[in-house]
Amino acid sequence: MRLFENTNIDFLGKRRKFYVVSLAVIVVGILALFFKGIPLGIDFQGGTEMQITFQDKMEVSDLRNAMDKSGFVGMEIKSMGSDKDYLLRTPLQGEGQTVAEKIQKGIKDNISNNNFEVKRVDKVGPKIGAELRKNAIYAVIFSLLGILVYLSLRFQFVYALGAVIGLFHDVLITISAVAIFDATFPMLQLEFNQQMLAAFLTLIGFSVNDTVIIFDRIRENIKLFKNEDIEKVMNKSVNATLSRTIITSGTVFLTVLVLFVFGGEVLRAFAFTFGIGIITGTYSSVFVSSSIVVDWKHHVIDKNKAKGRPKLSTN
Amino acid sequence: MKKNLFRIILTVLFIIAAVMYIYPTYNDYQINKQLAGLKGPDSLDFVTKNAEKIRKARDGRIKLGLDLKGGMYVVLDVDVIKLLQDVSKKKDDPTLTQILNDLKVVAETTDQPILDLLKAKLRERGLTLKSYYGEVRDDEAAVEKKLSTEIDNSIERAVEIVRNRVDQYGVAEPQIQKIGGKRIIVELPGVSNPEEVRKLLQGTAMLTFHILKDPEGAVKIMQAINSVLVGKEVTDSAKKQADLKPDSLKKNESLVSKDTTAIKESAGKNETKKDTTKTGKKDAVKKDAVKKDTSKTKKETGKKDTAKKNDTSKITGDTGTSIEDSTKNLSEEEFKIKFPFFYLVRLNEQSGTADGYVREQDKEIVDNILKREDVKAVIPSDVMFAWSQRTFEAGNEKIYSLYCLKKDAELTGKVIEDANSNIDPTSNTPIVTMSMSSEGSADWARITGANINKRCAIVLDGVVYSAPVIRTKITGGNSQIEGMGSVQEAKLLEIVLKAGALPAPLKIAEERSIGPSLGEDSIRKGLTSSGMALLLVALFMIVYYKFGGTVADIALIINVLFVVGIMASFKATLTLPGIAGLVLTLGMAVDTNVLIFERIREELKSGKPLRTCIDLGYKKAFSAIIDSHVTSIITGIILYQFGTGPIQGFALTLLFGLGANLFTAIVITHFIFDMMLEKGKEISYG
Repeated sequence: MRLFENTNIDFLGKRRKFYVVSLAVIVVGILALFFKGIPLGIDFQGGTEMQITFQDKMEVSDLRNAMDKSGFVGMEIKSMGSDKDYLLRTPLQGEGQTVAEKIQKGIKDNISNNNFEVKRVDKVGPKIGAELRKNAIYAVIFSLLGILVYLSLRFQFVYALGAVIGLFHDVLITISAVAIFDATFPMLQLEFNQQMLAAFLTLIGFSVNDTVIIFDRIRENIKLFKNEDIEKVMNKSVNATLSRTIITSGTVFLTVLVLFVFGGEVLRAFAFTFGIGIITGTYSSVFVSSSIVVDWKHHVIDKNKAKGRPKLSTN
Repeated sequence: MKKNLFRIILTVLFIIAAVMYIYPTYNDYQINKQLAGLKGPDSLDFVTKNAEKIRKARDGRIKLGLDLKGGMYVVLDVDVIKLLQDVSKKKDDPTLTQILNDLKVVAETTDQPILDLLKAKLRERGLTLKSYYGEVRDDEAAVEKKLSTEIDNSIERAVEIVRNRVDQYGVAEPQIQKIGGKRIIVELPGVSNPEEVRKLLQGTAMLTFHILKDPEGAVKIMQAINSVLVGKEVTDSAKKQADLKPDSLKKNESLVSKDTTAIKESAGKNETKKDTTKTGKKDAVKKDAVKKDTSKTKKETGKKDTAKKNDTSKITGDTGTSIEDSTKNLSEEEFKIKFPFFYLVRLNEQSGTADGYVREQDKEIVDNILKREDVKAVIPSDVMFAWSQRTFEAGNEKIYSLYCLKKDAELTGKVIEDANSNIDPTSNTPIVTMSMSSEGSADWARITGANINKRCAIVLDGVVYSAPVIRTKITGGNSQIEGMGSVQEAKLLEIVLKAGALPAPLKIAEERSIGPSLGEDSIRKGLTSSGMALLLVALFMIVYYKFGGTVADIALIINVLFVVGIMASFKATLTLPGIAGLVLTLGMAVDTNVLIFERIREELKSGKPLRTCIDLGYKKAFSAIIDSHVTSIITGIILYQFGTGPIQGFALTLLFGLGANLFTAIVITHFIFDMMLEKGKEISYG
């Protein structure tokens, strides 16, 4: 069985259109972020979070009433897929008798005939939250830098730059997607926590992997077709690797889809984010990273023509 | 082909190593399954029979993270503000309290050192550090430096206090880790009572000095306990052992008698050490006495080595009761039945002490005995038993010492002003010096004067860290403890003594508790979904690449084996993000194979022979594989560096997976294809 064999699609010729598409998505995303804000988990903002499972059916309104009565007015209460599982969250951390115990007491006092089990309690202090946030940003920045340096060594700087811009694009679009989906499908429980950070770093790794494989073929083809136009060579390379791109992205996407559906709530946010990342990562390898390299090379050729040096260095 | 032979050997070796490392995990799983099927007495029997096997499996198995197992994860910060309040000589001064309360608010939002903030606040009010932390004539800079070391050292004390308490709490496989010089991470698997843990970790440490009960008296108490045990139903385990069937008994007997000699020997060594441990007046160390003491003990140790195995029972006779004759010729098993307590708690006749030596696995049993109401009844109300903090090795076993102490503390650690570990320049051995407040010194002089040649236990939170012999009356409050086995041991004693003198208040900065049912749920869901995903991908590979895909799937399985094997060998912890990392590396593994197969297909189109196509495919795909793996490894390393806890688990499996992947995809699949070709088989890449 063979899919996408001998394709000859003019991917890069349409790159300007796709620049517009990418920009449009990012603008929508930034607007969503601006109005909705990044949903920060307690990992990054500090607070107390509890996951509770009731024995019997429980109405959100009753639970909210109980919380209001016990002093947690306006507490965040989320249903976790069923009317028995709830997530309670407050920015409070409390000293001495901690918030989690007060919450438990509040439920016990105000809700009778419905036993519950505390499945998980997370309490993160504000300083730790700030530190984790800082480390998360460092992690992303340093991995981008590391990639920039390595690719500059293995290819040319402009390729490395194209790859990293592509990664920025992926991160931005995925953040936007998370914000938008969180606003529209709150039951997905999307928020920025440590798992989400792992998802982002994985998508960076995956996306750059995809880009590197296309670049690798460009590097090879430039040597083979020395006198051809760079855009043509790059199109050839994208087409040559298309089969691999689709199959790999497809299988990994399949994996992530399975994790998303069957992996349980802990893996769900991770799988969602990474799934979005696979789509945008595959897209950006061609329509952002490669496109930027083409545009840059054209720019250099134009400049050289003006200076009367038509030959282009190929390596 | 030679090249292939080397590859095959390498692969087989790796696979064998991986299987060897994974085996304990499998074994542990089997044992637990068997145990789950057994009822009460049978399971106990099973545990006793297979103790060694169980321990080995448990040590070597892959540990599950808290998210999979349930438990508590606590991050502790030293509460510097509380420390500043506690160490001030004007603790209750309203101005200081006011300033520190203000600081508490400021400190939440800034990363500046708290000491700097305090200085600034004090300056605002025209005050100085020395007005609260020093004398008038002190140099301000020196006071600041001292305070700053105090803060730095507090974390060391806190770690020791936390470790001591967690050990006493009896959690299996706790993890206590100091990070970043100011923070402690405590992981307690299986613990589900946050309140108890909070109390345990945050309470104030109590350091006390207790005089040991005289050996004769102590042995008498132990005999009384023994009589209680003999008279009534013996502890479960002891009873169990007594009830064992003959052949299984034989096995046990050999184990025990071997242990007995081992205990004696090491106990002797231990005593040599103990005897030289002495508290003496500074500058008044009587070297000769120490030397003589040591040599004498050594001689005794030598003599004892030749002694018969029933020594232990003799000491019970030493105290003048009539048991001696009747026990002299008892065999191990008879001894076990007649003297269940002394079977568990071994005494050493020659040491001249009544320290009981207890094997690590018996500690809990002895604890339970000591907690029994009828046993408590025969222990005089002014006496208590306490465990040593450290174990010593005898043969393959870890041995705890059980001390019999006078219950009332002679002195508390509050009187200690300072403690330092040093190397004694004249004898070149580690020593610890300690100084006391003038009030404490007076008490100390009285206590030491009245108890010369008796032993004094240094007890932190109920655990004995050292029990040196008091050599002289110490009047100046300056004492020196010597005879420590190593510099580390001396350092630990210093930390412990300081923990009594100085508080190390802790606050919980982060706390996560995961209920066991959630853990089970996530492991089940994580594993089944990962398995399903893997199966789907494997099927796809076979459909799409036919034989090539089948080989890729074999490589995939070997890859999983390698990653899990590497994790086991590194004693890494498997977390849920770790499972996700594993699944993703498998995605990468598939990608590598896809890359190679697509290349081979391309080459095949040009009509070259199969062999050339395969070699070219591997060759041409190589640069892309290396570049993509290296970039992923870079992100993996950075993730490991900046992530915490579970995220590090993810990064680790990712890194292991990428490494394993390079090997399986480039080496293993290639030589499988090579071998097929050599046999003249047709290879289809779909």
